[in-house]
Formats: sequence, structure tokens, C-alpha cells
Amino acid sequence: MTPASTGKAVTIKKMFSRETAISIDIQADKSILWALLTNASDFPRWNSTVISIEGEIKPGGKIRLKSTLDPKRVFKLSVKEFDADTRLVWGDAMGQRVYTLKSIGQNLTHFTMTEKIGGPIFPLIAKMIPSFDQSFEHYARDLKKEAEAISNTK
Amino acid sequence: MTLEQLTNEFELGRPHLKSYLLRITASAEDAEDIAQDTFIKASQKLHTFRGNSSVKTWIFTIASNLAKDNLRAKKRWTENVTDICKAKAIANPTYFADMMTIQTTSPHGQFEVREHITFCLTCISKSLPLEQQICILLKEIYDFKVSEIAQILTTTEAMVKYYLHTSRAKMITIFEGRCALINKEGTCHQCSELNGIFNPKQDFEVEKNKIEMARVLETGDKEHLLDLRLQLMKEIDPFSSNGSDFQLHHLAHNRKIMENYSERSAE
Repeated sequence: MTPASTGKAVTIKKMFSRETAISIDIQADKSILWALLTNASDFPRWNSTVISIEGEIKPGGKIRLKSTLDPKRVFKLSVKEFDADTRLVWGDAMGQRVYTLKSIGQNLTHFTMTEKIGGPIFPLIAKMIPSFDQSFEHYARDLKKEAEAISNTK
Repeated sequence: MTLEQLTNEFELGRPHLKSYLLRITASAEDAEDIAQDTFIKASQKLHTFRGNSSVKTWIFTIASNLAKDNLRAKKRWTENVTDICKAKAIANPTYFADMMTIQTTSPHGQFEVREHITFCLTCISKSLPLEQQICILLKEIYDFKVSEIAQILTTTEAMVKYYLHTSRAKMITIFEGRCALINKEGTCHQCSELNGIFNPKQDFEVEKNKIEMARVLETGDKEHLLDLRLQLMKEIDPFSSNGSDFQLHHLAHNRKIMENYSERSAE
């Protein structure tokens, strides 16, 4: 699923899965976005949806993420794909988060983030999992703001 | 460029180069050695200089690479470096006597609050990742442009901007949390404590208010306060200031403590 670059989240619900996606165009080189998305300890400074990330975001890395979506819970995630400046995937048994970066002009990057969760027991727990839409929109907005501030550094 | 031209350029820029190296390595000896090695390497590679950058940028590139080699195996310092080193200084029976001796025998042995602020900045900057520390020093203290820093670090301008932005953000957070000069709740009072010990006749409040950073607290935003702190550093040559011997001795102490601390932490 690749939504339009509006910064608005789109969610598709199915019986055994749910997928949320967001896209936004950011006036910054994609290496800046990549640096922000892979510097775990710096996340809480600029990303209002992240309380903390422990561990390193690197190939095969393990991270422990606390999100404002569910502050009492620690998500134990593995980095599954790490293609520098292009694609980052992390996840657990229930689902995975995919980040993609694509240059669409000088200092202009198309950012997409999707998260698909699901499995055989998904119908039983679906109602307990909060909507990601607002969190995704804050995430994309924060990333855009921070990356563009960096890009505008003189 | 001839060897004579290089020698002239190098000697003109040597004080800046040495102070830059001191602030990266926290060692006067290493700064001197790396500066010397930089000249030797530059003279050996003189035929490769094509004038694609200024001589200053080329020399700082060589020096930065040598400094990175020197620092690669060493751990970065911690944000609470001043707390750790203060505790060790208090426990060391000769530390204060040595400092008093420097103060009474050296023409560069004065304690000045403004110099201590820049000393503190040097120590705290060593808690940044090395690339971030190098970027903020080159940009804010030694007046290099983003494009020149990208050449020096062999990276892109985008990444230099990232390093600059994140290093500034981190420094602001650290000083806001620690420095009692800019935050009444700050945990570090080392400036006033050392002033009381080594400059007891000097009223700290009077001295403090001579420093713009401490005067503009009401109006200065956090970015501006960091700029003023960096401006102070820019104005002070750590090898020839009124208190250079005092602060260099203090820095050597902190370096020794932090290298042992880092080694122990790594075990």
C-alpha cells in the first residue's frame, strides 16, 4: 500500500491483518532522514511518538522500543532489513514496520512508513490494539520538521 | 605551492590548529605531536595539493585524520565528566597543592571563570560522537563552511548539517541540565567552587556578570546561550591565555581520569 504524499495515514483492515501507511515529501537529502531513522538514542529528542529506544538500529540489531501508543509496553524488535539510505524494516512475530526513502529531486525525499500486523489470532486481539493513524501522522510530521530544520542549517 | 609557502601558511595557522587538536584530544602533548606530524605529512604530500580547497582546509583535513587515528580506540567521555573528575580531584591529596603551585609560579596560572567555561565546553564536547565534536568545533570555533567541513571529513554536506544540528541539540540539553550558570536547577557549580578556592578575593557574581552568557539569561534563548558559550571559546587561545597553564593541568587531570574510567567501564 502506498498512499499519496499527504501526511495523512491510511489504514486497511482485514480479518487477519491490519495495515497502516503514510507518505510525505520532505525537503531534505535522504541521508539526513536515514541518519535520523537509525540513531536510536536520539529518537526521543525529535520524535514525539517515541519514549525511548534502547539498542542499535543496525543490520541484525535488537531494539527495545517504548512508544506513546502503549507507554507501559516494551516492544522487543529485530532489525530485519537495513539497506542504507533506502529501506529499513524492523518487527516482531506479530508484524513489521517498513520505512522507505526515495529521492524525488534535489534535497527532496519521498518518505513512506507502513506497518502490517496480523496472524491467526489477530481477530481475537484486534480490538485491543489502538489505531496507529494519529501516531503515524505525528511521526511523519516530526520527521519532516526535524529533517527540514537540519537541511536548512547554514 | 612551494615548501616555503606551505611553511609560512602552516606557521600562520599553527595556533588555531593546535587549539583545535587540543580540544579534540584533550591533551597538550598529543596536540603538539599531531600538529608536527601534520606538517611532516603535508610537506611529504605537497605534490598532491591541487588547490581544490584552501591550504587551511587541506591542513585541517590531514590533522583531523591523524587525530581520528589517535582517538579511534579511545572511548568517548561521559556527560557527567565534571562530577567524576571532581570526586577524583577531591580524593587526590596532591591535586589542589599542584594547582596552587601553578597559580603562584606560572604567568599563565590565573583562574578565570570565562576560561573555565570554555574548559568545561571542551570536556562536555568529548561526550559527543567524534564526528559531531569535530563538526561543531570546525564550524563554530574555526569558521569553516559546511562545504569545507564536508571535505575535511570526507562526507556530504547533508551529513555535516546532521552532525551540526544534533551536536548543538545535545550540547544544549546537557548544559541546560547541568550548568548552574544558566539554570538555577543545574547540578554543576564548578565555576563558582573553583573561583572560591583559587580566586577567593574575586566576587563570583561580579565576575559572572562580566560574561554575556550569564547576563542574558532572561532574554537569551537556548540556541543563543550556546552560541555565546561557543563565542567565549573562540576568543580564548588555550595555550596562551591568562590561565592556560592552570586549565591545561586541569584538563590533563580530567583526561587521565576519563581514560581510566572508560577502560574500567569497558572491562
